[in-house]
Amino acid sequence: MKRTLFLAALASFTLPLFAADEAPVEKPKVLEAQPDPWEGIVRIEASFLIPDYRTPWEAGRPSAGSGTGWLVGKNRFITNAHVVSNSTKLVIRLTNDPEPYDAHIVHIAHDCDLAIIEADNPKPFEKLKPLELGGIPKLNTELIAVGYPVGGERMSVTRGVVSRIDFQSYSHSGIDQHLAIQVDAAINPGNSGGPVLQENKVVGIAFQGYSGSVAQNVGYMIPVPVIERFLDDIKDGHYDHYMDLAISHFAIENPAQLKALGLEDNGIGVYVSNVQSAGAAGGVLQVGDVILGIDGHPVYHNGLIKVDDQMIDMNEAVERKFVGDKLSMDIWRDAKKQTVEITLKRFLPYLTMGEQYNQKPRYVLYAGLLFQPMSRNLMEAHGIRDPLVNYVFDNYLNREIYKERPEVVVLTAVLPDEVNSYLQSYQHSIVDEVNGVKIKTLKDVDDALKKNDGDGKFIIIKLLEKNRPLVLKRELAEKAHPQIMQTYDVPAASYLGDE
Amino acid sequence: MKPFALTLTALALLCGLSLGESKPKAAPKDEATEITVPIIGTAKNTSLMKVNVTYQPWNYRIPWQKTPPSARRGLGVLLDNNRILVTAQMVGDATFIELEQADGGRRLPAKVKAVDYEANLALLEPARDPDGFFAGLKPISVDTSVRVNDELQTWQINPTGEVDITTLKVNKVKTAHYVLDSSMFIVYEAVGLIRSETNSFTLPVIKNGKLVGLLLRYDSKNQTTSVLPGPIIEHFLKDVADNNYQGFPSLGVEYQQTLDTQFREYLGMSNQQHGVYISAVTKGGSAESIGVKEGDIVLEMNGQKVNERGDYKDPQFGTLNMSHIVRGKCFVGDELKVKVLREGKEQLLVGKLTRKNPKDFLVWPYLFDRGGNYLVMGGMIFQELSLPYLQSFGDEWETQAPLRLAYVAKHTDDYEKAGRKKLVYLGATLPTKSTQGYERLGGLIITKVNDKDINDLSDLNNAFKDPKDGIHKIEFEDFPKVVYLDALTAERDNLKLIDGVYHIGSLKRIE
Repeated sequence: MKRTLFLAALASFTLPLFAADEAPVEKPKVLEAQPDPWEGIVRIEASFLIPDYRTPWEAGRPSAGSGTGWLVGKNRFITNAHVVSNSTKLVIRLTNDPEPYDAHIVHIAHDCDLAIIEADNPKPFEKLKPLELGGIPKLNTELIAVGYPVGGERMSVTRGVVSRIDFQSYSHSGIDQHLAIQVDAAINPGNSGGPVLQENKVVGIAFQGYSGSVAQNVGYMIPVPVIERFLDDIKDGHYDHYMDLAISHFAIENPAQLKALGLEDNGIGVYVSNVQSAGAAGGVLQVGDVILGIDGHPVYHNGLIKVDDQMIDMNEAVERKFVGDKLSMDIWRDAKKQTVEITLKRFLPYLTMGEQYNQKPRYVLYAGLLFQPMSRNLMEAHGIRDPLVNYVFDNYLNREIYKERPEVVVLTAVLPDEVNSYLQSYQHSIVDEVNGVKIKTLKDVDDALKKNDGDGKFIIIKLLEKNRPLVLKRELAEKAHPQIMQTYDVPAASYLGDE
Repeated sequence: MKPFALTLTALALLCGLSLGESKPKAAPKDEATEITVPIIGTAKNTSLMKVNVTYQPWNYRIPWQKTPPSARRGLGVLLDNNRILVTAQMVGDATFIELEQADGGRRLPAKVKAVDYEANLALLEPARDPDGFFAGLKPISVDTSVRVNDELQTWQINPTGEVDITTLKVNKVKTAHYVLDSSMFIVYEAVGLIRSETNSFTLPVIKNGKLVGLLLRYDSKNQTTSVLPGPIIEHFLKDVADNNYQGFPSLGVEYQQTLDTQFREYLGMSNQQHGVYISAVTKGGSAESIGVKEGDIVLEMNGQKVNERGDYKDPQFGTLNMSHIVRGKCFVGDELKVKVLREGKEQLLVGKLTRKNPKDFLVWPYLFDRGGNYLVMGGMIFQELSLPYLQSFGDEWETQAPLRLAYVAKHTDDYEKAGRKKLVYLGATLPTKSTQGYERLGGLIITKVNDKDINDLSDLNNAFKDPKDGIHKIEFEDFPKVVYLDALTAERDNLKLIDGVYHIGSLKRIE
């Protein structure tokens, strides 16, 4: 059950890399004087460089795609993060204007798939009217999706109804869940970022759907509360991301649970089955607590709360809050009720599990040995099948491996040379120690390789559960290192990130 | 690396055998390329008989159930005292074994006298008075003198009851897995064509009228066969003779080659020193008991020099893996002498060889002729972790089985140190009144029940006798960490599970 990003599909089958060159030259038309309520809905063309984690020293693979955006304020166009992620050049095109306008990203929020872009020259857009935001539409009410999807060059309109309002995974990051609204209006590649309108007000931003083979007429839009939260968050000029309680809960459905926990049989309370120590609730909640209420909303046995007469995931109480905000929670611990306060913050370790964008891959290369921090991008690019690496990746959060290894460093490849000839079979292993230094981050590897352990004659790399240390004679390795870089065309021995 | 799967497929070509739950796919039949095999001769049968086995493996995921019965047909070799030798694969999970005269068709029920699933050998004996069944047959003796380049024969029974003879030539002798991934033994690798006849499983391999091995697998594409060799058969028979079968001893180490010159220099090995780097020592194995440690370099074993690949020069077979020094030549209780290089100094470690009993492993390495241990409470199915359970998820079980269970199967140290004897886990949960809300739970390792540590299924059985205030508290390693069962409701559900739709014959098996 994989949701396909419209943009990704579009880039792969409709837009050739240099589509702009082939675009038919049209005669400039005079812009119509009559105001068009949809003139603020624009097409966004993006050129990308997609980093290849197998050759992290390279700039990446060029690609292109397009989506939709719309004017939300003065020279501010809102669109999906996935439309503009990894972009090297952005162009805005208007429906009735042949001129391409260069643009740039101002804010990008990968956790809710939203971005704000700005035209380099604001002038052409000064007269355009921003679209207005509406509210959450009711089930089975009509709406239209407007944008520039596949099937033609000009603006397209499709019509449908609100099918469902629920929490959904946002597939851009692959790890975030927020409120989303399902619609049955046709939403196709290229619609991404476009407004979904009801009574001429924006009630959502089209962003993802199921591919035809899984389900029919299932499109999703980002609803107004999520859009508004994003716009609120960036008011101070900085995006601070979503907060997360970082806990897991287990429904209380069994009468024995009620009895054992000493709970009243009133439908209230959900069992806390895991608390991430690095999360906002770490040190406040503990396994075995029962959450009775969150900011005054009763929490039901299935972990839902009631908001505006709708039953919705209790995380909704956290969704509208910002970093540093406080949350009050009524809990049941040791058969006593108490109230605790949680100061909200991001849960950073989870980022390892998600797709990363707009980042140059980090690496250290030494004597042909390529070290990289574990991430979803890395696992996919290298196609790592090693059961241990996969186990560590899958359990990075729930076994809190991040406490011992904030970055899990993987020996991802060995560029063959005489000096490392016997080490080829050790790629796709986790690096535990280098020259006696426990490896907790990629930088540790870079530092430790320079350290002379013992008499300094050998470089000793211990891999997790790989039954022998990898040993390089320093003298030989130092000599081979520049040679290998030259042979394999590696311009820099490492990239540790922007300092 | 799927030697077991390979065995199955190869054997399927011969006789359509299936073993365990993973059914081998039928090999695509290519009529055009089928070759008629030159049969070098036909002879009167003197020592072979047909062996018909009905077998019925247990279902490892629904542990009170068995899978549908199937049949295996093969050949048995008559040894002295009316004993019949077959491979252990023939008789695994057997429910009925019958001997059949090759020509006359007369039948005689038989039973297993001794079996070793690691060495893949079994001895059968008549289940009742043979009443002249063996008249006209003469026992064959075992010969261990085969060398590389020897010509051998395979014997098969043709439809008229006579023996068809084809030839094989021994190509090399090496160590390989038989049926279980965990044990390595020597095999003769031989080249030659073998025609697929019915009843051709467990073909005897003969030299000068003596038994030198049993056919283990045949790769029809490359026309190579692996033969379970005479020395292993002899070892098995000697061990059986004293009526106290001990099995083959094992060393219990993992080692790494020392070809890497930089690694050798780091280890302080001189150019003259050979041997392998010990990367792990099995808990409860022979090597551990005589003091071999991780990081040692094994230079010699029982006087034989070990090279940097882990091989030694066998006087009879040539270059062979060092495991044969222990496996093929020694018995449990024999002396083991290992010369190691430790911190630059040579040391001689001496002690007795042992064998780690399958019962002593944290995770059952194999289960034959029995099902897995289990206990049902209220609908929750608790089991002791076994490799067959994990393998029931298919060839890709390492990624297809519940991940945590697949992981711990290979990482048992911490549990063993913590005093666990077996790993008890919740396999699955049947929906009942008492398990309301827990239906989706499965693949979870149990830590405590009713505040008692659970080190094996007997502990669990005892812990369930002691609910607090009528409630069982069950603690898991992972999500959801703790669940509660109403003791009385669970007991009522137990009764319903026995009589109701699930027909659970027994609520537990703890053997």
